[in-house]
Amino acid sequence: MLAYRNLIQALESAPGDRPFITFWIDEDTRETVTFGEFRQRSRVEAAALHAKSAGRGDRVVIIMPQGIAAMTVFAGAMMLGAVPAFLAYPNEKVEPAKYRSGLAGVTANLKAKLVVIDKDFPDEMMECVSVGEETIFCRADGAASAELRDFDVEVPPDQIAFIQHSAGTTGLQKGVALTHGAVLRQIEHLAGALKIDRDKDRIYSWLPLYHDMGLIACFILPMVCHLPLAMQSPVEWVMQPETMLEVITGQRSTLAWMPNFAFQFIPRRTRPNRLGNYDLSSLRALINCSEPVRASSMREFQQAFSSCGLKPGVLQSSYAMAENVFAVTQSDLHADGPTCVWADGAQFRAAHRVEPVVEGTVGAMPFTSSGRLLPGHEVRIASESGAVLKDGEAGEILVKTDCLFDGYYNRGDLTAQAIAEGWYRTGDLGFLCDGDLYVVGRKKDLIIVGGENLYPQDIEEIAGSHPAIHDGRVIALGVYNPELGTEEIVIVAEVETEEDLERAPEIEREIRSRVVSTLGLTPSLIFLKPPKWIVKSTAGKPARATTLEKLQREHPELNIGS
Amino acid sequence: MTAEQKQQMIEYILKRIRKPNLTIDENTALVSSGLVDSMALGDVLMQLEDVTHMRIPAGKVKPKDMDSVSKMFETAARVGKPQK
Repeated sequence: MLAYRNLIQALESAPGDRPFITFWIDEDTRETVTFGEFRQRSRVEAAALHAKSAGRGDRVVIIMPQGIAAMTVFAGAMMLGAVPAFLAYPNEKVEPAKYRSGLAGVTANLKAKLVVIDKDFPDEMMECVSVGEETIFCRADGAASAELRDFDVEVPPDQIAFIQHSAGTTGLQKGVALTHGAVLRQIEHLAGALKIDRDKDRIYSWLPLYHDMGLIACFILPMVCHLPLAMQSPVEWVMQPETMLEVITGQRSTLAWMPNFAFQFIPRRTRPNRLGNYDLSSLRALINCSEPVRASSMREFQQAFSSCGLKPGVLQSSYAMAENVFAVTQSDLHADGPTCVWADGAQFRAAHRVEPVVEGTVGAMPFTSSGRLLPGHEVRIASESGAVLKDGEAGEILVKTDCLFDGYYNRGDLTAQAIAEGWYRTGDLGFLCDGDLYVVGRKKDLIIVGGENLYPQDIEEIAGSHPAIHDGRVIALGVYNPELGTEEIVIVAEVETEEDLERAPEIEREIRSRVVSTLGLTPSLIFLKPPKWIVKSTAGKPARATTLEKLQREHPELNIGS
Repeated sequence: MTAEQKQQMIEYILKRIRKPNLTIDENTALVSSGLVDSMALGDVLMQLEDVTHMRIPAGKVKPKDMDSVSKMFETAARVGKPQK
């Protein structure tokens, strides 16, 4: 990979007749392209973008449904030396004004030359699209009218290849600028850690291309390593998540990535009587990434699909972020899955340190490793004061790598806050142990009660295990109590049905008892709320800060967090 | 669709939506109104298979095809296949 000067050179060097993308449309329909066909279509798109006056260094925003057409526009832009960026496609539920304002913010920050939408972009969504005077707005039309030509643009490794957006609300997202060199180094390291075999490996993905996991692991990696890729739209996948099993079975896929929630979401939506249709024996790694890894989720997936040939040790983990192109760590594919350590819970919360105990010990906390550092990567665990912590001590994860981003595009202020002396402050909390990195949560979400560190996910898992609480609709917050001089645990949980509220005292008591018996700490307040009360983010996850604001508005008499 | 099937779907969706005091009928917009989110659509689709005793082939259904109970049954009639 490092022999290539840029990503387009990597694409150009692929054998033309080699299969590249199989886009799964439905059980009877696929769209497929070889590397040669993909290149040809990308050149046509490059010509169309050039005709719209896009050139070297120009930012090209792509708002198209997941598919080969969007990917060829992306590659076509890079062929010109332009800088493409995928943005999420609006859906039926989006508020036009909100989407328009977000898009205007992103295009203004990127100073985008072009915004490309698909030719079938629905008319009723057009009011979502609004760009400034300096930005040209166009539809990708398969570039039927463009004159095909080669663009022999010299693109050095230190030129920005593309921009991917970090998590956040559209419009507030930070554009992560990545050079060709940084991306190629990441692919080199990742391919080495995964022991990619270009004659045997085949990637599967339902992940959106506007997210680093979908873009890097499931588009750029196969493009550079010349691997076949089977993919489907996340919109289709979420309606019938079981289709993932069908595609992997049909395509004999060997590698895939997905976030932790999907390890529970898929088994719970797969009919047992259909399991016989699926064969997952081709998979050699299914990697849990982008969320803290929960051992219980991995176990549920393994148990659900062992009968489909899912081999032990296939479920793996990784720690990744857009700012580092993608992966920082990868678990050892030769081991039987990621390492798990059990720590004394009280000790961990009080001293922020791992004191290993035997699995299953009362009060013990399990942590699942995200794997070992890729080559060229360093990690430090830092205390609040910036001191470097030892193995087993938890603190903020700082990373320094040879594929780190140059900065947030046009946001020098944010870049300066995030990078100091070459170290990127991730905002994630974790610890190192015997060379493995364990990620335990987000720094901003940490709850500190009397010096004890509590991770909201642990409390939420306990409260959410109560049968009256709706799955995934619990938020644990740390709310400062000035009289005590420390934070208190506040739990907000949605009950399954309105009728459950009639026995709220009983449910509260049971949740309190579960939390105390597991963590040894008592929640100060538990709010049981009716269905749909908790505010969700655009990503569909409970939004902590907004939910707290709602709680404060609804209960001013309690002075929560004020 | 029979009245009984329609009622079964409405009751399931109401249970799934968990919104107090909500009433819906066969023409209530569910997806475009935000009542049913994308994560819940898969569950609704599985229920549609159960109620119609049909297999709804993966990938042949778009969120807009599930926007109301009426549309769900139209979709099942259009793309559904006998269960194996």
